[in-house]
Amino acid sequence: MFDIYLPIAGMQFNALILVAIGFSVGVLGGFFGVGGAWVVTPALNAFGFPMAYAIGTDLAHIFGKSIVATAKHRKMGNVDMKLGLISIVGSVIGVEIGARNVMYLTKLGIAGPVVRYIYMFMLFGLGIYMLYDYMTKDKRAAAQAAKVAAAARAGLAPPAKKSWNLPPMIHFPASGITISLWTVSGVFLFTGYLSGLLGVGGGFIRMPALIYLIGCPTAIAVGTDLFSVLFSGAYGCFTYGIKARVEIIAAILMLVGAAIGAQVGVTAVKYIRGYGIRLLFAIMVILAGISVSLKQFQLNTASQWMVMCAALGMCAVIMIKLYQGFKKEQAEKAGYAVKEVKP
Amino acid sequence: MKKFSAIILNLVLLALPALLWASEGLEVPEELGKKVDLANLGSINYFFAHWYNDNLWVYATIVTVLMGLLGFTIALVTDVILKMIGMETHKMEHHE
Repeated sequence: MFDIYLPIAGMQFNALILVAIGFSVGVLGGFFGVGGAWVVTPALNAFGFPMAYAIGTDLAHIFGKSIVATAKHRKMGNVDMKLGLISIVGSVIGVEIGARNVMYLTKLGIAGPVVRYIYMFMLFGLGIYMLYDYMTKDKRAAAQAAKVAAAARAGLAPPAKKSWNLPPMIHFPASGITISLWTVSGVFLFTGYLSGLLGVGGGFIRMPALIYLIGCPTAIAVGTDLFSVLFSGAYGCFTYGIKARVEIIAAILMLVGAAIGAQVGVTAVKYIRGYGIRLLFAIMVILAGISVSLKQFQLNTASQWMVMCAALGMCAVIMIKLYQGFKKEQAEKAGYAVKEVKP
Repeated sequence: MKKFSAIILNLVLLALPALLWASEGLEVPEELGKKVDLANLGSINYFFAHWYNDNLWVYATIVTVLMGLLGFTIALVTDVILKMIGMETHKMEHHE
């Protein structure tokens, strides 16, 4: 019923599926600060899109979507522009090193399995660490409070956090952190390297790196990461364009869905606390890891459906949380209004 | 305005190496260097397919600029709609 002709890919495709895929990945992207290539590419491919066009079209829509999401995050004060701009320089160099490494592995004929095993290690490692971090947060907060109290009783200053203060130090007012330029550059070089090596946008690596290695608040990590994704998306859109791999009509339809989804995802950040975002992200990353493992064991269809179901499930959770938060906010506003009317 | 111009200039300068790098692998693989049949195409499809056949650099530029402009326009429009239904967003407190 909604079939349209896509001239570049030379095929008929259901427009509604494109808008729906765009919408779900828009929600995830706006909420987690990731591009979502690891969801869209297998989803498009599963619905019959040729792989080469799936990658290029995906990157084109990511560029448009990240503009929508970054604009909204910026309005909410969640984008550290200074940190984002520095991230681009480190990431570009890192991506180049990673890509050259892949070329070397390809020459040896072991690129596929090596990349997939690193991918699995990264996804499971990251997911499990973030789950552990979430489950032990109260214990750590209590231990820190006890340390501060003990120091106060002894009349000493609270123990300083351990950090590497090699000059030059840079202050990031939006994130409220002061950190060595070398640490920031090193982190972005590393995350860029991994994204070049794994062939992904890098959002799912950079977002936790901003939290755990640089010390950003979660919402700022999400917004700043999206700001960086904007540049990698623009680069990806252009480079795949000149390589004749972007189906523009499909990208536009996906962007329409993704733009609406991104608004939903970003607004949900307002209602879910930082650790809540980390918990959902950890679950999503582990599910993506399971999907990659299935692929490694040649279960391609199961792998594609796994990642799509995980994305749709997570999408539903985010929208329910957003609805609950919105209703609560409305009820609180109504409560205040009644109080103000009563003498 | 001055600050905004400086940001735009910085973004362009930062994008330049990426664009040059993008052009490096310009050789189009044979199986992808196909031409689209322009017969029976509607005006929009014809426009894109024509540039796709004619010059991939122009096609890539059209795609990139169009996606950027569309993203920007949708961001503005949806912002207005969300404001109308009471879901506007303001600067938020950052708590973990």
